[in-house]
Amino acid sequence: MNGQPAVIVLQSVSKRYGSTTVLHDLSFTVSDGEILGFLGPNGAGKTTSMRMMAGYTAATSGRVLVAGHDMATDSAAAAPHIGYLPERPPLYETLDVAAYLRFVATVKGVSRAALPAELDRVTAACRLEAVFRREIYKLSKGYRQRVGLAQALLGQPRVLLLDEPTAGLDPGQIHETREVIRAFGEHHAVVLSTHILAEATLICRRVAIINHGRLLAVDSPAGLQRAMEQTNVVLLEIEAPAADLRAALLAVDGVHDVAMRPMAAGHDRFIVECQVDDKDGIEAAIARAVARPFRLFRLERRQPTLENVFLRYVSDAARLGHAA
Amino acid sequence: MTRLLAVYRNELAAYFRSPIAYFVVAVFLVGTGYFFLYNVFFSGEATMAATFQNMGVLLLFVIPLISMRLFAAEYAAGTMELLLTLPLRPWQIVLGKYLGAVTLLALIAAGTTIDLVPLYLFGRPETMTIAAGYLGFLLLGATCVAIGQLASSLTSNQIVAALMTAAVLLALWFVGHLQTFQTSPALRGLVAYLSLAAHFADFVHGLVRTEAIAFYAIVSAIALTLNASYLQWQR
Repeated sequence: MNGQPAVIVLQSVSKRYGSTTVLHDLSFTVSDGEILGFLGPNGAGKTTSMRMMAGYTAATSGRVLVAGHDMATDSAAAAPHIGYLPERPPLYETLDVAAYLRFVATVKGVSRAALPAELDRVTAACRLEAVFRREIYKLSKGYRQRVGLAQALLGQPRVLLLDEPTAGLDPGQIHETREVIRAFGEHHAVVLSTHILAEATLICRRVAIINHGRLLAVDSPAGLQRAMEQTNVVLLEIEAPAADLRAALLAVDGVHDVAMRPMAAGHDRFIVECQVDDKDGIEAAIARAVARPFRLFRLERRQPTLENVFLRYVSDAARLGHAA
Repeated sequence: MTRLLAVYRNELAAYFRSPIAYFVVAVFLVGTGYFFLYNVFFSGEATMAATFQNMGVLLLFVIPLISMRLFAAEYAAGTMELLLTLPLRPWQIVLGKYLGAVTLLALIAAGTTIDLVPLYLFGRPETMTIAAGYLGFLLLGATCVAIGQLASSLTSNQIVAALMTAAVLLALWFVGHLQTFQTSPALRGLVAYLSLAAHFADFVHGLVRTEAIAFYAIVSAIALTLNASYLQWQR
């Protein structure tokens, strides 16, 4: 939250298809000047949530409000305020880029007089000048994604809903696209769905983590960063006297916590979890410190994958007694 | 109105930027030309009546090709998600697409007027009868498009949409033949009323009847309303 009034409000929203519930009791808000990262693995419910905010599907229960309009009863009034890029860019293959953007702009209510300037604006923002007159079916995946983003930006919407907008782009295009989103998000509400941790932490003010249709946490990127750091773990299977092993591990630069679990009672063989800094070469340093004096059987580094971050959030929530 | 026109123009552009429109127009004009020559040379009469009948039957096979892409292609391409989230009411989408398809139909009808040149050069056809025939052709075609558009909204597969449309149109064309098997006068009347062919026959013979116009208008309105309701319900 940033003190601005909420432009997107989800209140206890659930969605069922037949007997299957794909979203459970989702609640969050997004304000003007805020980019909310919607983070979750494939099948988590991100696309369904985005579709409800865009007015493509209705919630089974709860309320979705966009720009003050209830999407269940008044989605037509909210539509002019929404720019939406679905997961698969909705493109008319046989039209050229100019004709496609002109169609979307006209439907969004851009006047004939303002049309050329509006097309110039989004074309420049999405770097489409080179393909402006080219038929869409001839475009590369990266350009198709950018045409999809350009149509979402048309008509100066108050709300931008972007479902995995950088999918299929090369690193340069990803950087440019993020800059476009960042600039737009300075004065508008943006919901950015992604399963890329780095993307969420780079450009979002807040991050909503969703899995199996449940909202696990809404946190700042800093909070997410902490969770990521906590998932930097080196795992060892080693035979050694407990006290000596602990001392040897904690002496390694970059190791800041050690948890040891004996594999069997009365033996000196342990499974050890070392919390480490996110830096290269830490595994090698640990191996050097323990391999010679003790008997090392296994050593592996756990990366901060999305799953690990989820596990961290889930376990934190369970520990605090309010698991979703 | 601007939004409806945008959908209409987009639909027309989609037709003429794909090979379908050219293929359909070509097939229809070649077919009509063949039937026209056959009918005129064999009967020796300067009339379009038999040719109009043939055009009506040709429509049953051509309309599914025109209407199959109207919604099925949108579902398959993912553009339905765009249309339903833009500031468009379902009726604007339905009507814009419908008018686009009917315009293509009107262009096809305009193309067949080339057959009238030899008719007027070498004979003295009845202009009003021909005008009534064209009116009937357009009404019949527009009704078939509405039915085809509804079928297209029910599936993302264009072939399935075309087959559904062809099945319904053939059923409504030949339903009049069931009169022979009906003993109940009410059922005979109903079967006769539902026949696309029976109403079209009136126009072919130069008869413009309010009942026939109303029939085509009502069937079209029902199909388009169901189409718009289905889009709304999908949300």
